[in-house]
Amino acid sequence: MTSLSQLFFDAASLGGIYALAALGIALIFGVMNLVNFAHGEYITFCVFALIVPSTDAAAHLFLGKAPAIVLVPVMLMIGGGLAVLSEALIFRRLRNATPVTMMIASFALGFVLQYALLAAYGGRPKAVSLWPGLNTPVELLGASVPLLQLLVIGVTVAILVILFLLLRHTRLGLEMRAAAENFTMARMLGVKANRVITGAFAISGALAAAVALILVTQTGVADVRMGGPVMLVAFIATVIGGMGSLPGAVAAGFLLGAASVMLQAFLPLDARPFRDAFLYSLVIGCLLLRPQGLFASASAKPRV
Amino acid sequence: MKRLTTAAAVLALCGPAYAADDITVGFAIAKSGWMEAYDTPAATAAKIRIDEINANGGLLGRQINWVESDTKTDRAQAAKAGLQLIDEGADMMVVTCDYDFGAPAALSADAEGMISFFLCAEDVKAGIQGVGPYSFSGSVLAPVQGATMAEWSHAKRNAKTGYVLLDTTIEYNKGICTGFDWMFPRLDGTEIVGRDTFKNDDASIASQISRIKALPEQPDVIMLCSYIPGAASAVRQLRAAGIDSLILNGSSMDGSYWLDATPNLSNFVVPVQGSIYGDDPRPEVEAFNKAYEAKAGARPASSYAYPGYVLMELWAKAVERAGTLDGATVTAELEKMRNEATAFGPRSFTDELHHQNFAEMQIIEISGGTPKAIDSWTISEPVPLEVLLK
Repeated sequence: MTSLSQLFFDAASLGGIYALAALGIALIFGVMNLVNFAHGEYITFCVFALIVPSTDAAAHLFLGKAPAIVLVPVMLMIGGGLAVLSEALIFRRLRNATPVTMMIASFALGFVLQYALLAAYGGRPKAVSLWPGLNTPVELLGASVPLLQLLVIGVTVAILVILFLLLRHTRLGLEMRAAAENFTMARMLGVKANRVITGAFAISGALAAAVALILVTQTGVADVRMGGPVMLVAFIATVIGGMGSLPGAVAAGFLLGAASVMLQAFLPLDARPFRDAFLYSLVIGCLLLRPQGLFASASAKPRV
Repeated sequence: MKRLTTAAAVLALCGPAYAADDITVGFAIAKSGWMEAYDTPAATAAKIRIDEINANGGLLGRQINWVESDTKTDRAQAAKAGLQLIDEGADMMVVTCDYDFGAPAALSADAEGMISFFLCAEDVKAGIQGVGPYSFSGSVLAPVQGATMAEWSHAKRNAKTGYVLLDTTIEYNKGICTGFDWMFPRLDGTEIVGRDTFKNDDASIASQISRIKALPEQPDVIMLCSYIPGAASAVRQLRAAGIDSLILNGSSMDGSYWLDATPNLSNFVVPVQGSIYGDDPRPEVEAFNKAYEAKAGARPASSYAYPGYVLMELWAKAVERAGTLDGATVTAELEKMRNEATAFGPRSFTDELHHQNFAEMQIIEISGGTPKAIDSWTISEPVPLEVLLK
C-alpha cells in the first residue's frame, strides 16, 4: 500500500497546479466579475512559446534553450503580457457589458488563441525537454518523490506567500482587495479601475505562465488542448472556493487535487476509470451544502 | 445554342472537369484541426499508390482521380463531407483515421452501397460491426498490437510479470490492453501483478506511479495502453520515478518526434507495420519511405502513413478482380483475400471482419533515445472475434 507521506506529496503537487491556476481565475473574477475561460489557452500559449513555431513533427526549443534564470522571468512576462494585451484589446471594451457577454468573449478569445497555435504549430503534440534533471527521484520521509514534485510544492507555497504580501502590503494589493469587495465603492474612493484591472490581468497571466512551466516540466509535451482540462478544474475550484475569494480558490484547488489523488489511490480498479465522476459528485455535494462556496467573500451576492 | 452554353457554364461551375471514364476516389479527411496531423500522412500514402497505379496504366484501364472534402476534425462536418463527395461522384471513399471522426462519412458511403476505408482506424467498430457491410480499415487492430507485445516480450525478453496501465480516454487504448490481457496470461509462467487506469490529459500520474512502486517487486514489463501526448507524459513520469521496467506500447507511440519528452529513453518497445527508420528488413518499405519523402518533402513521422498505401493497394486489386467498381461485388472480392501480399505484409478480410486480427509486426526498440527495428513477430494465432468485441 502506498505510504501516507507518498500520498501527501502526490496530492500536494497536483493540488499545487490546480491552486495556481484557480488563483489566476479568481483574481480576475474578483476585480471584474469575469470568468476568463481563455485562461487555459494562456497556459497553452506559454508552453508553446518555449518552442520554435513550425508544423514539423519534431520540435526545436526556442525560449526553452535559455537558462532558467532568464527563462522564468521571460515566461512570466509573456504570460502577463498576453493577459494584459487581451484585457486592453477585448475586455476593456466590454467592461460595462453583462458578465455573460464577457464570458462568451473569453470563450471566443480562447478559441482564437487555440486555433492560432494550431495554425502555427500543427495538430501533432510536441515533445519539450525542459529541465529533465528535475525528474530525478529523491527519498524523503519514506516516500520517493521526483525533485519536480517538491519544487512544485515549494514554488506554489512561495508564490502564495509573495502574492499574500503583495495583496497585504502594497498599494496595488490594497486596491485589488478593495475592488474585489466592492468595485463601485472602491472607484468612488479613488481607486483607478484601469490600474487595478491591468494589474490583476498581469498577475493572472504570470500565474498561467508558472502553471505552464510546471506542466511542461512534468509532462514533457506541448499539445494545443493541454490548457483546457486544467482550466476546467481550476474554474471548479474557484466555484467551490467561493467566487472571488482568493484564499478560497487556493484551498479548493488543493482540495480538488487531494481528492483526485485519494480517489485514484483508494477506489477499486473497476471504479477507477470513473474517478472524475466521483470527484465531480463530491463537487456537487459540496455545492449543495454550501452554495455560496466554502470561503465566500462578504460581497458574494445571494443566488436564486 | 443558348441552352448549350448554359449547360456548359453550369458544368464549368461544377468544379474540375474530369474525363468521363475516370475513376474518382473521395477523401473525407481532416485538412484542418488536430486530426490533420494524422490524416495527411496516410492520405499522402494513398495518393502515392494512386499515382503508381495511374503510371502503370490505371485501374480497369481507367485513370484514378481524387476529390477531397475537409472534415475539419468535426463529426458533424464529417457527415457533410461524406455527402458532398457522393454528390461529386466518388466511386469509393477514404475516411479519417479515427473511428469516431470517420464514421459519419463512412456511414453515408455505406448507405449508398459504396466501399469506404478508414485510413488507420484500429478499433473493430471501424468496419462491419460499427458502420456496415461496405466499410473496411487499412490498419491492424489494436488488440493485435497488445497481443504481439505480450507474446514477443515473453519469448524474447523472458517477461513473467506484467503490469497493465490503461488510459481510458479512447477505445483504441482499451483495444491494446484487451489484446495483452488475452495473450499474456496464456503464456507459460506469466502473471499480471497489477493494473491501473489514468486519463490522457491528467496533469500528473503520481498516484498511479506510487501504486507501482508499492509492489513488492517491480514488474518485468509495463503494458502502457495510451497515445501521445498522455503516453509521452506517462513515460517521462515513470522514468522520473525510477521505474526501469521494459515498457510495451501500441503503434501509437511510433515516431521519434516525441522522444525529447524523455531524454535517453531505453527499454521501450513499439510494434509497427513497417519501420520509418530506414532499417526495415523488407526493401519495399524503404522504397515507400523514399517515395513518400519525394512527394511530401520529409520521411513519414510515424508508421501511420503506411495503412493509406495498403488500403489503396488492396482495394485496387479487388476492383481489378471484380472487373467493376460496384460496392457489393468489390466487397465480395475483398472478403476472399487471405494473406494477400502487400508491401507491408500479408492482409486478410472475411465476411465477418474487415480488419486485421492477425499480422506480422516489426518490433522497434528505443535504446539510449534511438529507435531501431530489432525483430519482427507474428502472433501464434489470430485474436478471436469474441475478444475483439469484448
